[in-house]
Amino acid sequence: MDFDFTKEQLMFKQEVVRFAKKEIVPRVQEHDLKGEFDFESFRKLGEFGILGLHFPEELGGGGADVITTVLAGEALGEAGVDGGLTLAYGAHTFLCADTIFRHGTEAQKQKYIPKLASGEWIGCMGLTEPNAGSDVASMTTSAEKKGDKYVLNGNKMFITNGPIADVAVVYAKTQPELQHAGISSFIVNKGTKGFSAGPPLIKMGVRTSHTSELIFQDCEIPAENLLGKEGDGFLMAMQTVEWDRSALLAPFVGSATYLLKKCTQYAKGRVQFGRPIAQFQAIKHKLADIRIFGEAARSLVYRIAWCKDQGRPLNHLEAAIAKLYVGDWSMAPTFDAVLIHGGYGYCHEYDVERIFRDSRLAPIGGGTSDIQKMIISKLI
Amino acid sequence: MNFDFTQQELMLFKEINDIMFGLARERTLEEKDPISAESLLREALDRLAKTSYLKLGIAQSKDIPGLCAMMGAMEIVSSCSPSLYLSIEMSTRLFGRIISTYGNEKQKAKWLSPVLYGKKLGAVALLEKTMNIDNDPMATIGIRENALIKISGVKNYVINGPVADFIAVAGTMENKPALFIVEKGIKGLIQGKRLETIGLDGVVISGLTLENCQINEDQIIGQFEDKSILTTLRIWENQIILGSCLGMMKSSFESARTYAKTHKTGGKPIIAYQEVGFKLAEMLTLFQTSQLFAYRAVCAPEGKNRDFEVLTYCAKVFCTEAAEKVSGWALQILSGEGYISGNPAERSYRCAKYNQIAGTSTEISRVKIGDAAIGA
Ligand SMILES: Cc1cc2nc3c(=O)[nH]c(=O)nc-3n(C[C@H](O)[C@H](O)[C@H](O)COP(=O)(O)OP(=O)(O)OC[C@H]3O[C@@H](n4cnc5c(N)ncnc54)[C@H](O)[C@@H]3O)c2cc1C
Ligand SMILES: Cc1cc2nc3c(=O)[nH]c(=O)nc-3n(C[C@H](O)[C@H](O)[C@H](O)COP(=O)(O)OP(=O)(O)OC[C@H]3O[C@@H](n4cnc5c(N)ncnc54)[C@H](O)[C@@H]3O)c2cc1C
Repeated sequence: MDFDFTKEQLMFKQEVVRFAKKEIVPRVQEHDLKGEFDFESFRKLGEFGILGLHFPEELGGGGADVITTVLAGEALGEAGVDGGLTLAYGAHTFLCADTIFRHGTEAQKQKYIPKLASGEWIGCMGLTEPNAGSDVASMTTSAEKKGDKYVLNGNKMFITNGPIADVAVVYAKTQPELQHAGISSFIVNKGTKGFSAGPPLIKMGVRTSHTSELIFQDCEIPAENLLGKEGDGFLMAMQTVEWDRSALLAPFVGSATYLLKKCTQYAKGRVQFGRPIAQFQAIKHKLADIRIFGEAARSLVYRIAWCKDQGRPLNHLEAAIAKLYVGDWSMAPTFDAVLIHGGYGYCHEYDVERIFRDSRLAPIGGGTSDIQKMIISKLI
Repeated sequence: MNFDFTQQELMLFKEINDIMFGLARERTLEEKDPISAESLLREALDRLAKTSYLKLGIAQSKDIPGLCAMMGAMEIVSSCSPSLYLSIEMSTRLFGRIISTYGNEKQKAKWLSPVLYGKKLGAVALLEKTMNIDNDPMATIGIRENALIKISGVKNYVINGPVADFIAVAGTMENKPALFIVEKGIKGLIQGKRLETIGLDGVVISGLTLENCQINEDQIIGQFEDKSILTTLRIWENQIILGSCLGMMKSSFESARTYAKTHKTGGKPIIAYQEVGFKLAEMLTLFQTSQLFAYRAVCAPEGKNRDFEVLTYCAKVFCTEAAEKVSGWALQILSGEGYISGNPAERSYRCAKYNQIAGTSTEISRVKIGDAAIGA
């Protein structure tokens, strides 16, 4: 066993931290307060190469390995990038673009990946429905084949980047009677007749990512927009789990490092009872717990990434464990961070308040903690 | 990065597993009677010495697996018996490691080889009456008198104390920390009576009093320039405790899982109820997270900034608290069955507290992690 990163990987991580601190972090609080997506930051992520890091260079990507890609996510969290932007990046790159990359035809890849990797186009992925969240297989959005077209009808819910996306990967049933096996995946372009997005939902956290409903009303798409084969959709959605449990969790690991730094700075400067509060054991206890969470989560996340780099099939048990741990335990450090900052922690001026709200998504999005427990208890 | 054990390491795990399960078939591994406990301990050492187990982390050669594998191997022994495990570890991975790291060749030949070959038993006496080494100076003292050194002091809890052939006693000499190696039967060494404890039934523990015990110059290890030796000993003890936690979680989890799959109520195995199945999921999550944490902490490079120490404290807090939770939940799932003495979950639950107290206690660990964060 060996838990070390290579020198190159660590140097790249530091570059990402520096880039994000300079180019992105200064605008985070303002956009969070307004609940606005930060197009400029997203474009900069594309320019820097993060949006397409793991795609081949021929398709406009960076050709990076999985560990390096996951490190970039950790670096964004460590720099203080908000959960909204990292979620938008995750949904765009891993849930949308990567599905096209993995399952698309050569023509689909050529058409979409370069533009998604550069950030010229924004992607989203629609799986969840108003009445089908954890129970994905009960989705009702349908895709009926009519000649050389599919006609989509139904609604998707809570879709990250929904209102701003140029491209959507959408899951719909081609054979409703088959449950999982009847789900297929399609590419739907912005502006397609019969396809619209609802207004951004007002959320407690990850406010710089726009989340909305996607509405399909007799939405006709060319048959060539089918991804892979009919009936493969559920498997494709499950395959995104590899990224979901590594790259999408990595910002939470980085965020723990960020919180520790912020809290330490604050605690050393804040004087009460004649001494910096950092000297009180109760404060050190909280600092310790923040660090412990980050260290504990790290190896779980990188284990998934390393296995993917080895070309191994996803270990669903390990993936669910990583998600359950990060989901359930990542909130406590943010709670402690707010407390360390006292009344200031409750105010927007100090960003621990935002991180506290952002972290609440961890046990919900991408499969709730209960669903992870269900998976684990079935697999043991 | 690599998350796999090598074939050689997996082979070693199998050998250790076979030895421990073989032993468990022959006799109870949590011997309450001190005489039986000692004979069991010597028997286990003798058998394990046929593998590289006792040498892990101590002797270095390409045939001996590294520290991550040491942790994996410790987990197996601890899962079979927390008591036997701790007794073995205090002898090898604490006493043995002291001699191997700080002893001269003569000292190694005299005390290390017999311990690594499973022929002799070691112990380490660190803690003193009402004193925690992290806060207070040690009162045990060695005074030079001509060619001899006279040791005096009181040590509170010493694992293997009553049965050890060699004891490394921590103290000071001429105001510098030192370790004095005293051998069984030395004049002036007074064994306290065996201590009754909530858990670790098979560990023989006592207090020790040293009244002018006379030793030679070559029975001294040190004198050390600063107190960092004590920190190092604590780190090694913490590593032993990490292995203990992993083993406890393994045995508790596995017994609860087996029970949940086979025990039925309302016509279905209880694992089918979310209250049970989800608990098992949380248990496995804590267990696997602890495993990776312990492996990473133990093989972190001992760099100049001593961050590896802090990582060990982090892992220790996490794993010791996880072990108590996991064994507690296992007990809940096993219910009546678990509450009956001898069940791995019941046993682990009783032992778990020790791991939070011993080594660097949970409280002091957190303070040290906090201190490192603020640069104190
Ligand atoms: C900000 C945000 C962004 C999102 N982005 C996307 C996206 O880009 N694309 C997308 O497709 N989806 C997205 N989602 C949806 C997300 O994946 C779902 O919210 C999540 O899977 C839970 O589904 P649900 O909200 O319908 O809750 P439900 O499934 O209705 O669950 C409600 C509660 O019941 C529990 N529960 C459900 N079933 C069981 C069971 N069998 N046993 C025990 N407990 C159970 C759940 O754990 C939960 O506590 C996003 C959600 C949010 C909030
Ligand atoms: C069964 C058993 C076997 C043992 N075997 C050995 C052995 O073989 N060799 C050996 O040398 N020792 C051994 N020990 C001793 C063990 O290492 C100590 O018990 C441990 O270090 C704690 O010290 P203490 O019991 O004196 O508690 P104390 O140090 O008195 O602590 C009491 C409480 O106060 C907290 N505390 C103390 N100081 C601080 C502080 N500065 N800040 C915050 N909180 C603080 C502690 O965390 C604890 O909760 C053994 C102990 C037991 C119970």
